[in-house]
Amino acid sequence: MLALQLTLTGLQAGALYALTAVGFSLIFGSTRVFHFAHGATFALAAYLFYAVEAAGYGFVPGLLASFAGAIAFGLAIDWFIYRPIQRDEGSFFTVFVASFGIGIVVQNLIGMIFGRSFVTITSPLSRSREILDGVYVAPLAGIAFVVALICLVALGLFLRTTFTGKGLRALSDDPELVRVFGLNPRYLSAAAFAIGSALVVPAAVFTSMSSGLNPAIGHHVMLISLAATIVGGIGSIPGTMIAAFIFGLAENLSLLWFEPQWSEAVVFAILFAAIIARPSGLMGKSAAR
Amino acid sequence: MRHFGRITAAAAFALAAPFAAPASAEDITIGGLFPFSGPNAVYGDVLSSGAKLAVKHINADKMLSGELSIAYEDTQALPQPAVVAMQKLVSVMDVPFTLSSFTGVSKAIAPIGGRNEVVMVNGGGVGPDLAELGEYFWNVIPLANLEVRASVPYAVQEMGKSKFALIYVDDPLGASILAEIESVLEEVGGELVSEMSVAPSAQQFSGLAAKVRSSGADAVYIASYGAQQVQIAKQLRDNGVDAQMISYSAYGVPDAMSLPENEGAIFTAQAVQLDSEDPVTKRFVEDYRTEFGEDPAPYNVNYYNATMLFAILAQALEEEGKEITGANLLAKRKEMGSFDLVGGNVSFLDNGTLLFPIDVKVIEGGAAKTLATVEIK
Repeated sequence: MLALQLTLTGLQAGALYALTAVGFSLIFGSTRVFHFAHGATFALAAYLFYAVEAAGYGFVPGLLASFAGAIAFGLAIDWFIYRPIQRDEGSFFTVFVASFGIGIVVQNLIGMIFGRSFVTITSPLSRSREILDGVYVAPLAGIAFVVALICLVALGLFLRTTFTGKGLRALSDDPELVRVFGLNPRYLSAAAFAIGSALVVPAAVFTSMSSGLNPAIGHHVMLISLAATIVGGIGSIPGTMIAAFIFGLAENLSLLWFEPQWSEAVVFAILFAAIIARPSGLMGKSAAR
Repeated sequence: MRHFGRITAAAAFALAAPFAAPASAEDITIGGLFPFSGPNAVYGDVLSSGAKLAVKHINADKMLSGELSIAYEDTQALPQPAVVAMQKLVSVMDVPFTLSSFTGVSKAIAPIGGRNEVVMVNGGGVGPDLAELGEYFWNVIPLANLEVRASVPYAVQEMGKSKFALIYVDDPLGASILAEIESVLEEVGGELVSEMSVAPSAQQFSGLAAKVRSSGADAVYIASYGAQQVQIAKQLRDNGVDAQMISYSAYGVPDAMSLPENEGAIFTAQAVQLDSEDPVTKRFVEDYRTEFGEDPAPYNVNYYNATMLFAILAQALEEEGKEITGANLLAKRKEMGSFDLVGGNVSFLDNGTLLFPIDVKVIEGGAAKTLATVEIK
């Protein structure tokens, strides 16, 4: 029963990881910007939802505020931070350092505005119910799983069937060719940041209700997103999604054999093993031709 | 030409000196090593508020020849940044005395303070080995071994809980609480049915809740701190754990009190009679309520006492015309023996630790209510 319980818990964690990691993967895969501030987008979205909900405006306004804040933040960083650096021929590393700095600034700003304490939205949806003898599942877990699947399927359809989606996939393959075909890489880059940032919102909202928030919450999110993107294959949305679920399951099922303190280490052991065994990732394209 | 250069430099210095920052030789600075960022940042404000009130009282009473101030440094509750901050306090700011917090931080800075004869006073960390960090390291808080010796027997004997699960943070504090709980449970007839260590940065505990449930524990001792301890409590309850939650003085923070899932949880804290008529306690309680709009918590008391202790010792040294150094502060503490601080007249044990009775408290309606007071011998 413990194994079944941990599997269900792992699927819930995997769904949340998938939503955040896929957003990062989309941005990184399309624009090659190492968007470390993706964790900050997550924290910002979560705190905006918390602020609106805690102020008594309710779930939907909170959700809308969270979407608006996350998308605006992603676009603002792309326009006002990354583009000037890239225009000035700043290196990949310069962009990374800028993004890292933004993450720290946002963490501190959240601490200043919302306080440094733990905050959470109390919801009956986060309270587990016993569905089998010794097996508990919260309604939120099921909702998170279904929402993750809907978002990820919708994203897959968007990338395959729409003009902008195809442009984003083309941008990840060859930005020069995108220009030759008359597409605007700037517009596509903005689309990647807007969609990637919006994808963190469901996970941020669910996290505010399930495990709660503190200003440093973005770091863990970023680590998992990064690991899932690498293991799944850079630029591969399905690969990132599968890797995120593997991490969620591994983190929880490892409790059958190891102390909880090693659960994060298990994630990174998988990362190292994947890098050695398949450097291009589960579904990435091999660099060596 | 060389003369001209020297004269010019001297003239420039002479002209600039009056406009430089007013360096009053009489002003006194002590250090404050607290977390102001990271997952434990919530403690920064909690721990420093008592010290700030003490500084206000000390300066208002003109206890010292100059203005007292605290140079706060952010440790993030981590040893490495704490060591950097301590080096700055010792080497650059030349402080004779610093406030410290957190077990890991305190253990990391103790050798630096000891080598440089800087007194370090802890009012927040509760790892039992903090009592063994040398004569320059003092504690104005009962350490965790004493807290465990109050709460675990209470839970077993008064609440009928005998099967304990322990969730402890993987650091010196957690390890020491594990050792203490194993020992105390054996003495009082309880059983440790499950022990789980968590990384200090971990935030997901739903899997851990499943393990607690499957262990059959009727009490869960949470030995963590900061946002993590509250996250553990919330996720345990959300994931179907209905065992009695027990913790130690780190639980005495507003986040833990206000979490609905913590209703009925018990924790320990040093006993302080806030309604005492003793003038030091009365002044502290009244002014704290005025300044911060709430009742003081044990941490506020501890850092008020720690800062006030410095002022009492420094005042005595100044009256004798002695320099305020770490070595002199230590000698004066040993000489004076006992002090009028919040909570009454207190004295140090030989290992530099203050002894207080310990309250076993329960969280009810978002506030702590004392269930029992345990005299520690």
